[in-house]
Amino acid sequence: MPSTLVLLSLVVAAWLAAHVAFEWLGRRFMVLSGAEYLLLGILVGPQVSGLLTAETTGAFAPFLTLALGWIGALVGAQFHLPSLLQVPAIAVRLAFTESGLALALVATAMAGILAGVLGVPLVSVALPALALGAVALPSAPAAAALASLGNRRSATLLQVQVTTAVEALVGIVILGILLSALHPGGTRTSRPPTPTEWAVISLAIGCLGGVLFHLFLGSERHIDRLFVGLAGAVILVSGGAAYLHLSPLLPAMLVGAILVNTSGNRGEVRQVLSSVERPLYFVLLIFAGALWSPPTQAWVLPVLLFVGVRLSAKLGAAWLAARSIGPHRPSPAWGLALLGHGGLGAALALSYGLARHAPLADLVFTAGIASILITDGFSARLAHRAVGRRDVASPPQPSATAEGPERAPAIRQRSEER
Amino acid sequence: MRRLLVLAVLLGGLQLLEPLGSEAAGSSALLPFGFLVLGAYTVGELASAFGLPKIVGYLVAGAVFGPEALAVVPRAGVEELDLVSQLAVALIAFLAGAELRWDDVRRDGIKILKLVMAEVGLTFAALSTAMFLLAPYVPVLSDLPRLETAAFALLFGSVAAVHSPAVTMALLSETGARGPVARTTLGVVLVSDVVVVVLFSATLALARSLVAPAAGVPALSVGALLWEMGGALLVGGFLGAGVALYLRFVGRDLMLFAVLAVFFGLEITRALHVEMLLTLLVAGFVTENVGQHGDDLREAMERSAAPLFVVFFALSGAKIDLAAAWALLPFVIPLALVRAGAIRAGVHLASRWAGVSDLERRHVWMGLVSQAGVAIGLAAVVAEAYPEKGVPMASLILALIAVNETIGPILFRRALAAAGEVAILEEPSEVPVGG
Repeated sequence: MPSTLVLLSLVVAAWLAAHVAFEWLGRRFMVLSGAEYLLLGILVGPQVSGLLTAETTGAFAPFLTLALGWIGALVGAQFHLPSLLQVPAIAVRLAFTESGLALALVATAMAGILAGVLGVPLVSVALPALALGAVALPSAPAAAALASLGNRRSATLLQVQVTTAVEALVGIVILGILLSALHPGGTRTSRPPTPTEWAVISLAIGCLGGVLFHLFLGSERHIDRLFVGLAGAVILVSGGAAYLHLSPLLPAMLVGAILVNTSGNRGEVRQVLSSVERPLYFVLLIFAGALWSPPTQAWVLPVLLFVGVRLSAKLGAAWLAARSIGPHRPSPAWGLALLGHGGLGAALALSYGLARHAPLADLVFTAGIASILITDGFSARLAHRAVGRRDVASPPQPSATAEGPERAPAIRQRSEER
Repeated sequence: MRRLLVLAVLLGGLQLLEPLGSEAAGSSALLPFGFLVLGAYTVGELASAFGLPKIVGYLVAGAVFGPEALAVVPRAGVEELDLVSQLAVALIAFLAGAELRWDDVRRDGIKILKLVMAEVGLTFAALSTAMFLLAPYVPVLSDLPRLETAAFALLFGSVAAVHSPAVTMALLSETGARGPVARTTLGVVLVSDVVVVVLFSATLALARSLVAPAAGVPALSVGALLWEMGGALLVGGFLGAGVALYLRFVGRDLMLFAVLAVFFGLEITRALHVEMLLTLLVAGFVTENVGQHGDDLREAMERSAAPLFVVFFALSGAKIDLAAAWALLPFVIPLALVRAGAIRAGVHLASRWAGVSDLERRHVWMGLVSQAGVAIGLAAVVAEAYPEKGVPMASLILALIAVNETIGPILFRRALAAAGEVAILEEPSEVPVGG
């Protein structure tokens, strides 16, 4: 029997099993769905069973690039400026403060840990440590969604949602710039671009792409036609970034943000982008798991420490940020709702891991997926404790993005329908 | 016009990016692919504005941006994306099967069979005869003995008689047509696909007895043919039952499941050497008619079908060898005319026998002119069996397919419009802001 068929059979069977098992686990123990697909990928990948060979995973590289770009566009589509202006300024300030603090804490701690464990100078691990900081930032929006059930007016919930969106923004921008700085070169120009020029190129692809696709799509509202146009746009931008060895997440995020802010059909754009979010997310998680390979360095300790550092840094950053804004602070334990890692964390880790020229790429990638596997088991319960919840009918579905404050009623309504 | 300008700017942008990049492993096809999707979408909308089917625009865009013309999509890129094409064909076959209702099959099955027998029989005979008569003027066939000429003419006739389920489904999806002409055409196209594969296999076996094939080409056996068809029914039945069970007991993530199920079906037909189209067709039919949730899956598949049609036909256009098709045009045009005439005559001849309505008699033949993937596959089999004579003949068949693939959708759309079955003819492509 051909290996592809065996693989497909296994994936279908495991997928069904994961559906059944995690449906039950999710209901019983409030476990976020998503990590099981990552685990499935590791199990069928070349490092464990070998059912999915390195060659096969390589053949799926375009799908991974597309999935990364699509997730980036979805993150960008959250930033509709007129809607964001309705969010209290203090919430936005708190979100940026928390994100900046968490990034700084994780990057600093991991730089020290990596230098100590690997026995190398601090400066040589500074960029991987910063990458780990960016990978650590995203919070699983599903945890906040779970916490939001039956608690629509919570100020803490609003804060969690805004923070989740800001963390995604900061994580993607930092990683995008980092991969520009770490560009491997190899161009056919008379002078290779400098890291700053690569960063500008990355931003230019997103900004010019956003403007061009705004003109291209116009006010198209027919969902099928919009889907084809948007798919072409995301494929082109992601493919362009991959061709230039840049992160597809940053330019695609800019395209998404420009489209929702300039087009009259922003609702349809969001609808189309969301319609294939879950399939691409599953593909991303399965192949992220399959692409995992153990780093050549001593990795177990740094990876475990990363998980601990991330949890501590996020709690600490949330607490510090809340203290810094005075009396209108959210509940003291609001940082508990930010511990879930989710799909965007996997996307950022994968984006760095795919850059084979980047230092400690395997280690950063391993740390990212380990964090998801460990934290997504309990993060929803903590989010529930942080935000408060009265009834849960079913676990929330995995998602790479949160769509801002207006999403909570939709989530609640779907839950009630179940 | 605005979209064409944006495309031109994007094309310039691609030229600027070109020296800055290197082909990242596995992702090199993505950039031209994205451009091809946007280009096909634009030209498709443009074609629609001129009252032409969108798939004609997709084909033209594929040909223009493909390796034979502007080469935005290189030949290697087209080959890398072959999996997408195959997946699209499989999905289309599944969707086509899901369009069939058991009640319709019981009511119209005999009528469709009679139409197919008459139409395919007459088209096969007419094309084989035309090819036999044209052979002295076709360069590679002119010096052959009569018996060998007859063998190749029969092979040509069996391949050229094939229709296109993909074009039919794409047009039905685009126009929303569900009337008697649409349903009868779809029925004839689907059933004739099975009949023509059997006919082709029998003709190839006969040709092998007249002209020895190339060394190393495996012999055909009746058992293998029976398995190819019977196995497809069996495998398709099991696959459909599995999908129905999933819909019954899980019923979530339908779009992802649809792609997985079709991909699984594609791989299993390869592994078990059963006919792919028939397998997926049966799977779709069983899913739709056995369970009560088939409609949910069909709707999920239809949502993903629109972009797949763009991709499939754009890639088909990119594969057209324009230079070869142009050189063979003097032979292709008379053959295309003979084929269209034979199809029309076949439908007319069978109309009284099969008891079709006057509307169907006048319009169904126009939906049968299109050709695409299946015929290309059969032409490749001929080229493999007879590399010396088969390859040039495959080029002739591909040129004929290129013509029919372009003319066929236009005719079918006209037929549907004339029959009053087009539901979405004048839908605006854009709605003004606030409108």
